[in-house]
Amino acid sequence: MTFSLDLITGAVSFLITLLIFSYLIGDNPLFRIAIYAFVGVSSGYVAAVIFRQIILLRLFQPFAVAMISGSLLDKSLTLVPVLFSLLIFMKISPRLAGMGRVAMAFLVGVAAAVTIAGALTGTLLPQALGAINTFDMNAALARNIQPFEVIGSGAITLAGTIFTLIYFHFGAHPKPDGSMRRLGLIEIFAWLGRIFIGITLGAIFAGVYAAALTALIERIAFLINFIGKFL
Amino acid sequence: MRVVTAVIAIAAGVLVLAGYFLQGIFPALASVQALLLNWAILLTGMAALAGIFNLIFVHTDKIRLREKGSIYSAVLVIGLVSTLLFGMILGTENEAMKIVLNGVIVPAEASLLGILTISLLYAAIRLLRRRTDATSILFLLTAAFLILGSATLPFGNIPILGTVARWVSQVWALGGARGILIGVALGTLTTGLRVLFGADRPYGGN
Repeated sequence: MTFSLDLITGAVSFLITLLIFSYLIGDNPLFRIAIYAFVGVSSGYVAAVIFRQIILLRLFQPFAVAMISGSLLDKSLTLVPVLFSLLIFMKISPRLAGMGRVAMAFLVGVAAAVTIAGALTGTLLPQALGAINTFDMNAALARNIQPFEVIGSGAITLAGTIFTLIYFHFGAHPKPDGSMRRLGLIEIFAWLGRIFIGITLGAIFAGVYAAALTALIERIAFLINFIGKFL
Repeated sequence: MRVVTAVIAIAAGVLVLAGYFLQGIFPALASVQALLLNWAILLTGMAALAGIFNLIFVHTDKIRLREKGSIYSAVLVIGLVSTLLFGMILGTENEAMKIVLNGVIVPAEASLLGILTISLLYAAIRLLRRRTDATSILFLLTAAFLILGSATLPFGNIPILGTVARWVSQVWALGGARGILIGVALGTLTTGLRVLFGADRPYGGN
C-alpha cells in the first residue's frame, strides 16, 4: 500500500471511529477526546466556510468594490450590513453586548417574517391540501383504488389529525374542588390523540433506528475493510 | 433604544412579509425583500462566527483557570483554531481540508449515529420498564412492526407484515404526523406574529 492521502484520511477516520465506539463500554476519556476534537474541528470548518463564502465573498468584496467605484446608494447599501455585522460581533463582549441589539432586532424581525411565510406556505396550506386530497376519488380511481378504501383511509387520517390537534388543546375549566380539568369530550378526543401520537412517534423512531443501524453497519464494514488492507 | 429596536424589528419583518404576499401588487417589494434577506444571511453568518469565537473564549478561559476537564478544552481549541486557520488560508476545497472533512467530521457523525442504535434500544427497553401505558406500548409495537416490516429477514419476508406496516405508516402515522406538523406550524405562526406585533422582543427590547 502506498502512503497516500486516502491512507491518511482512512487512518484518521479509523482512529476517530474506534474512539467514538469506545462509548459502548461506557463514558470514558477516549470518547470525550474524540467528541471535543469533533466539536472543535467541525466548528473550525464551519467558521472557515462562513469566512470564505459569506464574509469575504458577500460582505467585504462588494463593500470594497462599492467604496472604490460605486455610487452613493451602492456605498450606503453595502455599508449597512458591515455596520450591523460589527454590532453583532460586539455581542461577544458582555460590556458591549447592548450595542448588538439593533442588529439582533433586524435579524429577529426578518426571521419572524420568513418563519411566518414558511409556516403558512410550507406547512399549513400544503398539509390542509393533503388532508383534502386524501378523499380525492378521481386520483384514487386512476390508481385503481376502491372508493370505500379511500374513504376509510381518509377518515382515519383525518381523525388522527384532528385528535392530535385536540390533544394539544390545554384550555381547562376550574372544578368545584379547585382542580383544573378539560371538558369530558375534549379529554376523550385527547386520549385518542395520544394513541395517534404514539403510533406516529413509533413510526419516526423506526425510521431513525433504521438510519442509525445503516450507519452502524457502514462503520463496522469500514473498520473491517481498513484492517483487511493490512492483512 | 427600546423603541428603536422594536421599530427596526417590526419594519424589517413587515417589509419581508409584504415581499412574500404583495409583490404581485407592488413589484418593488421583491427587490427590497431580496436586499433585506441578503443582509439577514450576512448577519446570520456573522452571528454564527461570533458564537464560534465565544466558544473559543469560553474554553480558553477553562484552560487558563485550569478547570476540571481543561485537557478536553485544549483539544477543542487546538482543533478549532488549526482548522479555522487552514480553512481561511488554504480554502475549504484544499486537500488538507478534505482530510479534515472525510477523516474527522463525516466518520465522527456516522459513528455517533451508529452508537445511537444501542442508545435507542436501551431507551426503548427502559421505557417499557418505567412507563407501561397504552401510548408507550403502541409506540414500541409500531416501531417494532415497522422495523420488521421494512427489514430483510434471514428466513425471508413475512407476507402480510410489509402490507400492514405500510398501512400503519401511510394512514395511521400520517394522521398523527399531520396533526403534529399543523400544531407546530400554528405555534410558529403565532410566535412570529407576536414578534411582528412587538408583543415578544427576544432581541432584548423589553
